[in-house]
Amino acid sequence: MRRLVAYPLVALGLVTASLAVASPASAHGYVSSPPSRQALCASGRVADCGPIQFEPQSVEGPKGQRNCHGGLAQFAVLNDNSRNWPATSVGSSVTFSWVLTARHSTSSWEYYLGGRRIAFFEDGGRQPNATVSHQVSLAGFSGRQTLLAIWNIGDTPMAFYNCIDLQIGGGGPAPSPTAAPSPTARPTASPTARPTVRPSSPAASPTTRPTGTVPGGAQWAPGTTYRTGDEVTYQGVRYRCRQSHTSIVTWEPSYYTLALWLPI
Amino acid sequence: MREIRIALAAAALALLAGCGTAAPEPAAYQPPAAPRADATFNTTDVMFLQMMVTHHTQGLEMVKLARTRQTSEEVAMLAGAIEVTQTTELEVMQGWLNTWGEPTTAGHDPNAHASHGGLPITGADEMAALRKASAAQFQTTFLNLLIGHQHNAVEMARMETDGGVNPQVKDLANRITLSRNEQIKQMLGLVAA
Repeated sequence: MRRLVAYPLVALGLVTASLAVASPASAHGYVSSPPSRQALCASGRVADCGPIQFEPQSVEGPKGQRNCHGGLAQFAVLNDNSRNWPATSVGSSVTFSWVLTARHSTSSWEYYLGGRRIAFFEDGGRQPNATVSHQVSLAGFSGRQTLLAIWNIGDTPMAFYNCIDLQIGGGGPAPSPTAAPSPTARPTASPTARPTVRPSSPAASPTTRPTGTVPGGAQWAPGTTYRTGDEVTYQGVRYRCRQSHTSIVTWEPSYYTLALWLPI
Repeated sequence: MREIRIALAAAALALLAGCGTAAPEPAAYQPPAAPRADATFNTTDVMFLQMMVTHHTQGLEMVKLARTRQTSEEVAMLAGAIEVTQTTELEVMQGWLNTWGEPTTAGHDPNAHASHGGLPITGADEMAALRKASAAQFQTTFLNLLIGHQHNAVEMARMETDGGVNPQVKDLANRITLSRNEQIKQMLGLVAA
């Protein structure tokens, strides 16, 4: 008997959200570390961000702006300081790393803090490398700050915008995100029962998932670290884990995951 | 009614066998068959599969390289799971193209995306960046590259979702969209840690 694995409702939700935002051609880069607001949305650490969670690389707007959302109404959530964005604790020198999905010829990279430009990297129209990172000094700044990082494209009037919330120097742990991650509270993640509106629950955050041995007979669940030898039940069949991994939807037992799960 | 009869029969068998554990010997396990694709397809289905074959091959090179370098256990587990699941997806896609009598790779014009305002990051670029990354930089470089790589997979899957006709290929595109977005979530958590 062949078990069909299909995710039509979920995918429909995803694609509809994506199409409403931008064509893939306009999607090209963002700061992943320390995490920009769009990265926090895409990773699920901050919930209810709207379409940006599927397109963190799409915050593209005309050059010269000083905001978090590039002037795009559909990403206005990025500009909303009342969202209590979690801040990353950093020292006085920070390396900012970018994810690029296309290598636009680049005019420059700019970093703003406290209303002034604190770093500038001139690329002179060159193509960037496959990954880009910049070391920036935050000397003279302390406490909670929102930094603006901008990627100015060389051959278009456009730029990509990122706001990055930082807790500079000493300081206690960053304020918690709007919703506390809870690895067990993800009832909608089952592929068979998922609604068309994709939940933006922060539950799957890898930093908060449970680890260690899974009790025998547990139902397979996403966001769980399974070790080789762990056993689960999925759709009434028992499986043994063949290779340690942290589960995601689509890695449930199926033809595609025979290397991860062996029926017993 | 039928279940009861089966259960009774199983119990009787167990008794006959003089076996204290009630469970009967399970039938030999039949592994699930590889998914097959219908014979109806269009050029988008073919192009999507050919592009994904190339893209998967590049992704596999990256995760295999990660095996030879120092990473956290979580990154190693993620790379390992991506390797085995994408290997199976790759075999399925190649199988469908073969069944249809289509080549499994397409001649790819590296400048095809130039009109979109940017060149794509090729597998060669990715591998070069990974190979030259120092031990201290490797994990961050790997994650940022693979996040971008999987964003590209989602973008390609959208092409199939919009323009493909074959139901199994469209289902695979949905699977890829969902799977890559979940992988990106994990990796963004790891790269920000």
